[in-house]
Amino acid sequence: MANEVKLPRLGQGMEAGTIVKWLKSEGETVEKGEPLYELDTEKVTQEVEADFSGVLLKIAIEEGEVPVGQTIAVIGDQGETVEVGGDDGAPQSAEKPARAPKRDAERELGRAASIEEQVTEVKAPKREDGRVKASPLARRIARERGIELGGLSGTGPEGRIVAEDVERAATTPSTAAPAVAPAGAGAEAEVEQLSSTRRTIARRLTEAWQAPVFQLGVTADMTQTLALREQLLARQAEGSVRPTVSDILTKLCGVALVRHRELNAHFVEDELRRFPSAAVGLAVAAERGLIVPVIPSCETKSVTEIAAARADLVERARGGKLQRSDLEGGTFTISNLGMFGVERFVAVLNPPQVAILAVGSTEERPVVEDGAVVVRPTMELMLTCDHRAVDGAPAAAFLRDVKAFLEQPALAL
Amino acid sequence: MPELSYREAVRDALSRAMRRDDDVFIIGEDIAEMGGSMGVTMGMLDEFGPERVRNAPISEMAIVGAGIGAAMQGMRPVVEVMYEDFLTLAMEQIVNQAAKHRSMSGGQVKVPLTVRTQGGAGWSPGAQHAQQVEAWFVHVPGLKVVFPSTPTDVRGLLWSAIYDDNPVVFFEHRTLYGIKEDVPEELEPIPIGQARVHREGEDVTVVATGRLVHEAVAAAKDAEEDGVSVEIVDPRTLQPLDEDTIVESVKKTNRCVVAHEAVARMGFGAEVAAVVQEKAFDYLDAPIERVGAKFAPIPFAPVMEEYVVPHAGDVLEAIRRTVARDGA
Amino acid sequence: MEQRDAPSKEILRDFYREMLLIRRFEEKVEELFRAGDLPGFLHVAIGQEAVAVGVCRALEEHDVIASTHRAHGHTLAKGTPPEAVMAELFGKQEGCSRGYGGSMHLYDVERGNLGANAVVGGGLPAIVGAALAFKFRGESRVAVAFFGDGATNIGTFHESLNLAQLWQVPALFVCENNRWAESTPASQQLTIEDLTQRAAAYGMESVRVYGQDVEGVYREAVRAVERVREGCPVFFLCDTYRLHGHYIGDPQVYRSKEDIEDARDNHDPLELARPQLELSDDELDQMDSEIADIVERAVEFARNGTDPDPEDALRNVYA
Repeated sequence: MANEVKLPRLGQGMEAGTIVKWLKSEGETVEKGEPLYELDTEKVTQEVEADFSGVLLKIAIEEGEVPVGQTIAVIGDQGETVEVGGDDGAPQSAEKPARAPKRDAERELGRAASIEEQVTEVKAPKREDGRVKASPLARRIARERGIELGGLSGTGPEGRIVAEDVERAATTPSTAAPAVAPAGAGAEAEVEQLSSTRRTIARRLTEAWQAPVFQLGVTADMTQTLALREQLLARQAEGSVRPTVSDILTKLCGVALVRHRELNAHFVEDELRRFPSAAVGLAVAAERGLIVPVIPSCETKSVTEIAAARADLVERARGGKLQRSDLEGGTFTISNLGMFGVERFVAVLNPPQVAILAVGSTEERPVVEDGAVVVRPTMELMLTCDHRAVDGAPAAAFLRDVKAFLEQPALAL
Repeated sequence: MPELSYREAVRDALSRAMRRDDDVFIIGEDIAEMGGSMGVTMGMLDEFGPERVRNAPISEMAIVGAGIGAAMQGMRPVVEVMYEDFLTLAMEQIVNQAAKHRSMSGGQVKVPLTVRTQGGAGWSPGAQHAQQVEAWFVHVPGLKVVFPSTPTDVRGLLWSAIYDDNPVVFFEHRTLYGIKEDVPEELEPIPIGQARVHREGEDVTVVATGRLVHEAVAAAKDAEEDGVSVEIVDPRTLQPLDEDTIVESVKKTNRCVVAHEAVARMGFGAEVAAVVQEKAFDYLDAPIERVGAKFAPIPFAPVMEEYVVPHAGDVLEAIRRTVARDGA
Repeated sequence: MEQRDAPSKEILRDFYREMLLIRRFEEKVEELFRAGDLPGFLHVAIGQEAVAVGVCRALEEHDVIASTHRAHGHTLAKGTPPEAVMAELFGKQEGCSRGYGGSMHLYDVERGNLGANAVVGGGLPAIVGAALAFKFRGESRVAVAFFGDGATNIGTFHESLNLAQLWQVPALFVCENNRWAESTPASQQLTIEDLTQRAAAYGMESVRVYGQDVEGVYREAVRAVERVREGCPVFFLCDTYRLHGHYIGDPQVYRSKEDIEDARDNHDPLELARPQLELSDDELDQMDSEIADIVERAVEFARNGTDPDPEDALRNVYA
């Protein structure tokens, strides 16, 4: 009867050993207790005795490292046939677990709730590295009372804000803090628990803040675009959507984006994904906050088609009827605050997109033409880019094209 | 109410326990005729005889170990180690044996042993007779560690230590032996694991042990004049630690100073600070301050010893740091 | 009380059976360890069975012992059932230390086993303390410490002998001199050949026996225990042999082949006892197979035992 010889555990903690040399050959008779092979463990090389008597029918492993428990030989009766049972002792390498699913799904949801920042003036003052020094107690009181720490000055060591400073701020009106608890006796602060949308917005904004960004600005002469709009309106079909300057801008951006794919991209971990088609998201003010529905294939759609898509999305957005698919797949975002009279602003990135365009109102402004000052309708555009993904030159080239297209739409053909 | 010194309070607890129970006996070096190097067991030989007030040769390992063996047989021995510096000689028996018998046996064995010892600097004894080593023992699962600072506390806690079924390392402090206090006529056992608010206050909690409790009291009086109201919490038992009392106090005052005579770095106070920041993080208006000996073996020359070892002034400075302001 | 000076054939056979149980138990433990079934590390008492049996059989039930890292033999000889020991080696709740101790921390307080100790010499002071407690209470009990020649070098040994002799407590110090402290031979660690001198240094009485003859060990142990019960500590030196390595898997590269062979061929306590038993080959085979059964059943019991809950780790820290 054949017996499998397995590599024994010869010491505490021993997991494997190296067979150096067999002292018996296949076919030789072996007595129990006779040295059978030489084994190198971490500590020492030693002879290992046979546990069975018989004929060494097969040496399964000639030399090399073997895990404890693996069959290395078979001893049995003369003439027996032998099949060595594989590595029944060897540990199976665990299958690599599937890579954790990327956070794309979350990002898609979050994209629905992206928000831009307001004009710079209102930003809270920050210390050198952006952190505010405040004691844990001070932070808690500030949190509970809705007081912005950033606006306070601290009287603790090294300017640390301590509880007293926050208490003081709570009872005196402060000009620096943008969101201060109401002054006066008996005035209770209104506490609003953040909705999940707002929380998502807050979280995504914080994420966006991690990106190193740069901004480029141009002013475009809108004369031709406005003229184009008039032409489109004149040719408009009955009952169809009136195209706006924004729709034209969306189309022109679409064209520019496919010509400058570096800006039609996502930056995800260590990857840059450039897309062949421009899916432009438009920031829309809905009831629960800003959302960004997406119009796919802007480079191929006509302005009329874009207008129709835009109107449909806005209506559904305002009515809370947007689908997830309406919010997914955006490669670029345009945010337009012109209708609110904002002339210029800088938008916050909408990750994982690498760029976002902030558009202000079209105003009659003096410009210089052929050495003379004339009045033209002009619009200011600010492009924010993720510098990890995009450099200044390509960004500038893109923006220059957008301006060029706005000033001479035919160039976009 | 009778007045007892800390020393007399220890003797009183030991004597009452030995009168009550034949199972209680004491072993130590020079504890019989001499009455102990600190005079704690004076007179006890006459009352209890040489079998139960047992002088031992200089064999810390064996006498602590013998205590372990007798305790395992159900007796309640109290072994005195003359200086806490010499606990080092019995570490193996305390840490590897006494602390672990219960666990290793799966609960079959109890070791109701008390190891009494004392230490403290301030009298130029040199580095090997001046240490405070409680940090080593609070770190060993299976041991209890007690460090009382007043006559009432030491009497009530020694009684509880003797009657606790676990090995207790019981620290007394050299400079406290002489302090006197009115104590209750009858011995009132104090539970192990219960802190005491030694002084109430509003602005900062000082968690202090041993001699530093009294230094903290002195510092608190000075701080009062600065308009700072100091609360003093004496844990009394270091393991198990009464975290609740300490945390409640810090939640009230919002500031914390931890003070002990032992070396500050990696000391018992570090654990208290960690617990406080864990459990009262949002209540802290200032970083937790620690007061302890500086990181050096305690030198002989009085001026150097004075510098290394903490005093009331160090506690006061720490208190001031917690309420410090730069501007306004 | 039976005649204990000269054990009858029956009693000798009983001793042999016990030694055989220890031998087969230890061999099985080695086998299980090599197969990777037992966690931790293990020290078997193969070759030292006669000391364990000879001494433990000279004790009364209420006497206590404390052992060393090489504790299986003493534990079995003091009466702990093999299932309980095996289950402890497997780390099960049914083990004599409920899975908390393992090979080097076998306790069985009911049977007077105050625990095996992984620290060389670590258990001696507590034996002095137990003996002190017996003396205090006027109990006619004896406390026995087992240790090896290596332990006669450590502080606790010296302090304990001195203290026991000073206090005249009923402690028996059994030194199993197998002439090796792990890999260090006597010549490299002992300054003297006759270890009874170490006891003499403390004014303690001593006995020296050939540790492989179970009958001899027993008779001397009976006499020594009587002496100890009178309140006089005794140092009981047994010259014994370690037939295998220090721990399972120890290739004993430090020990000459001749030394190992001499031990195996000439000083095996089972071989030496067998001729005295006046048993036929069949009867011996019968005993062998009974013992083999007992050991197998112990392994089965242990394998089917209950693993402790991980959270049990936090229990039994304090009483």
